[in-house]
Amino acid sequence: MHELFLKKFNEVVPLTPDEEALIKQYLVPKKLRKKQYLLQEGDVCKYLCFVVKGAMRSYVLDEKGDEHITAFAFEGWSITDLPSFIRQEPATLNIDALEDCELLLTSKSAMDELFQKLPKYETYARITVTHGYMALQKRMTNMISLPLEERYKAFVQSHQNILQRVPQHMIASYMGLSPETLSRVRSRLNNKKEL
Amino acid sequence: MPIVIGAGCPAIVVLHHQNIIKMKTKQTIAVIGASGNMGYAITRSLSKGGYRILLCSDEQQKAVTLANDIKNNNTTADIDAIDCSGQAAWEADIIVLAVPYAAEKEIAARIKEVATQKIVISISNPLNETFNGLVTSPGTSAAEELQALLPNSKVVKAFNTTFAADFATPVIDGKQVDAFIAGNDEEALNTVSELVTTAGFNPIIAGDLSVSRTLESMRLLLIQLTMKYNYNWLAGWKVLHN
Repeated sequence: MHELFLKKFNEVVPLTPDEEALIKQYLVPKKLRKKQYLLQEGDVCKYLCFVVKGAMRSYVLDEKGDEHITAFAFEGWSITDLPSFIRQEPATLNIDALEDCELLLTSKSAMDELFQKLPKYETYARITVTHGYMALQKRMTNMISLPLEERYKAFVQSHQNILQRVPQHMIASYMGLSPETLSRVRSRLNNKKEL
Repeated sequence: MPIVIGAGCPAIVVLHHQNIIKMKTKQTIAVIGASGNMGYAITRSLSKGGYRILLCSDEQQKAVTLANDIKNNNTTADIDAIDCSGQAAWEADIIVLAVPYAAEKEIAARIKEVATQKIVISISNPLNETFNGLVTSPGTSAAEELQALLPNSKVVKAFNTTFAADFATPVIDGKQVDAFIAGNDEEALNTVSELVTTAGFNPIIAGDLSVSRTLESMRLLLIQLTMKYNYNWLAGWKVLHN
């Protein structure tokens, strides 16, 4: 159950068996069915969510009720509403399951205790957050400066196999495009044989 | 105490920490032992609360029947019978062990891996066969024994001082039955308080998990009184105070 989590952790900082056993005591094993919510906006985000199996997404609703997807998470990735989680304030994101999922959840108090008890957890957190921040910068600069086709290619590259698992309208939403625009981008790339 | 600032300011109400704003995100509750009297009663009560409820039982067909029964009476009820208590506990946020004391050890072993950091509600009463004593030693309780079996779960004692029939009639003789809760984790206690309220009782957080020793004895006394004075298994506790 914890193999993937521990594998990812060990890639960042190696753990002893005792340390692995300690971490396991704090992780909540949770199964979510497709379309079930992990978090609804307005609730305080209780957990950092690590995906063992399945696919999750986060999204915001605009004033018209349209969804804007902010992130996807597949096996080995994490997802949360970070401001809500850290500050224990109402969330602006919704997080739900795109497929049946197996998750490992870390609560705020669990995280705080792990910070106290396991110095390596600090290292893990630092490196994970740093990577997340770098990815976010990349995504933002792509979004504001790259032509659509380049953005799409970069997106597909950073999200392996996403085309098989996520419907196009959701990819369009994530990219901030209408489904029609995305369709045009894909067909242009297809014609250029770059898809 | 709510604090209201009036006269020229918008009224601001600060909720006391016990008045929890209910979460929007639907919580999943696994009821293990759903076909027993208590499991049945707890399931019926909680099905009104907007939770997702998963039912497990040794007699799975009874769990299926109960789930269908509730769905027929309440089309918005989100309730399913699940085949294995491990699976139900894995999906659940809160686990109710509606099984006899004698069965708890085995169930605990089955759910242990997937119950980490989750609320596990102990409703059991470790009574002897003749109902004149408890089989646990005075220095412990069924709840504390369960906590030892599930060291990484948040065991909460609840629903053990209320009879199954009370769930259908939580107001007896004009008074709402008190339902006592005990546990070591404050957030877990507040969450379980909400469940108790949904079930129609007045929740009273009695203290840490060791108070279960008293609560389990209270059940014993209530049973003895019921048998002696023919309360017909509809009886409960009410604390009088100023």
